[in-house]
Amino acid sequence: MKEIDDSLLNAWLDGELPADQRDRVAAWLETHPEEAQRVRGWAADRDALHARLEPMEHEPVPDELRRLVMRQGGPRPLRWLMAAAMASSFVLGGAAGAALTWHAERGGGVQAASDGGWPQRAALAHSVYVPEVRHPVEVDIVNASAADQPAQEAHLAAWLTKRLSVPVKLFDLRAQGFELVGGRLLPDANGAGRAAPGAQLMYQAVGGVQRVTVYLRKPETDTPAAFRYEQQGDLGLFYWVEGAAGRETGYALVGALPKERLLELATAIYRQGEKAN
Amino acid sequence: MDAPPDFRQQLLAAIPRLRRYARSLVFDEQVAADLVQTALLKALAHWQQFDRRREMIVWLVGIAHNAHRDERRRQSRVDVVDPDEAALKADGRRAEAGHDVGLRIDLLAALRCLPDEQRQVLLLVGVEQFSYAECADALGIPIGTVMSRLSRGRAALRSLLEGGTPAPGPVLRRVV
Repeated sequence: MKEIDDSLLNAWLDGELPADQRDRVAAWLETHPEEAQRVRGWAADRDALHARLEPMEHEPVPDELRRLVMRQGGPRPLRWLMAAAMASSFVLGGAAGAALTWHAERGGGVQAASDGGWPQRAALAHSVYVPEVRHPVEVDIVNASAADQPAQEAHLAAWLTKRLSVPVKLFDLRAQGFELVGGRLLPDANGAGRAAPGAQLMYQAVGGVQRVTVYLRKPETDTPAAFRYEQQGDLGLFYWVEGAAGRETGYALVGALPKERLLELATAIYRQGEKAN
Repeated sequence: MDAPPDFRQQLLAAIPRLRRYARSLVFDEQVAADLVQTALLKALAHWQQFDRRREMIVWLVGIAHNAHRDERRRQSRVDVVDPDEAALKADGRRAEAGHDVGLRIDLLAALRCLPDEQRQVLLLVGVEQFSYAECADALGIPIGTVMSRLSRGRAALRSLLEGGTPAPGPVLRRVV
């Protein structure tokens, strides 16, 4: 039998001993109150140190480190997304509340999908869940411990992928200053009136209160793949359809943010979605 | 080949803990910031060496640990720290902490008085909640050494908090 020394007592305290040794040390401490007192002192210091330094784990990552880590190899051409960005710069300052779609400014002939369509429902779902303090999402990522987060994220993505029957990827918007709060499943129907649920991913500004949501669903087969912007009161809405034929995903990004800021987020989502496909 | 996005995301997610470890280990904000940046650059350059079965933070702490040790060696060769100046700096750090009251100040001040080797294991096991095996892995030492350093470190910390004589600070030891 190993002699009971300070190293063994510390290992006991940190839960590092196999069951038989653990029990032996516990029994020994029962009969050695002074030693038990010392161990309690170490435990108190350990826990106090942890409590004192724990908040640093939640400090936002400084921008220069974020840039250092997320810097990508080379710029990717963004085709029509960039075209949309440029086009949109001509229409900034347009009448508030008016529905502005990119194709309308460009004189395109694509049917607007906003009249009661899924982007509308995305905006509605945004308005319902964003003000929620206690239950903004069904699957909570942001409040999970660091150790649990990867598993929670994997669970959320797998669950939504299964229910939506389109590949759901959790976008990483931390480089744009937004972290994932979590996600939920939303009731929705396809054109034939059959259940075709959507998903909402919610993001929150790191260290802030501003929230944006990404609504995802399997789009109607006749939904045009154009990239559109709409303004509904305070809310800005970018929506588009991505993916190979048969595996298309409809995206709607909703947020009360300036158009350029929202475009920056939409660009990041588009890039990541493109990579996943 | 450039580090892939999922690796970068894991790295990004580990930054807060890496910063916490670095700042608790070296106290000087600028030195800690340099240490974090160096570790991240090395991680990005050697991403292919990362074994995905391991915890990113354990790997990163290992990189930071080696960088810190190399830097200390380099420093010890090139410059001599004036002990008085070093003591003044150390006092300054304690005074900064003194704005607040209560036990936790004594705790951090006491932590600063410990040798680096003991502070490392106290932080990794107590704060980062590494297992002894992870701690040994990150620091490149046997588990038995982790245990003895931890045991000495906890005893020293307790003795300092109970009003024992502070050992000479880490800055002073670096002079010799």
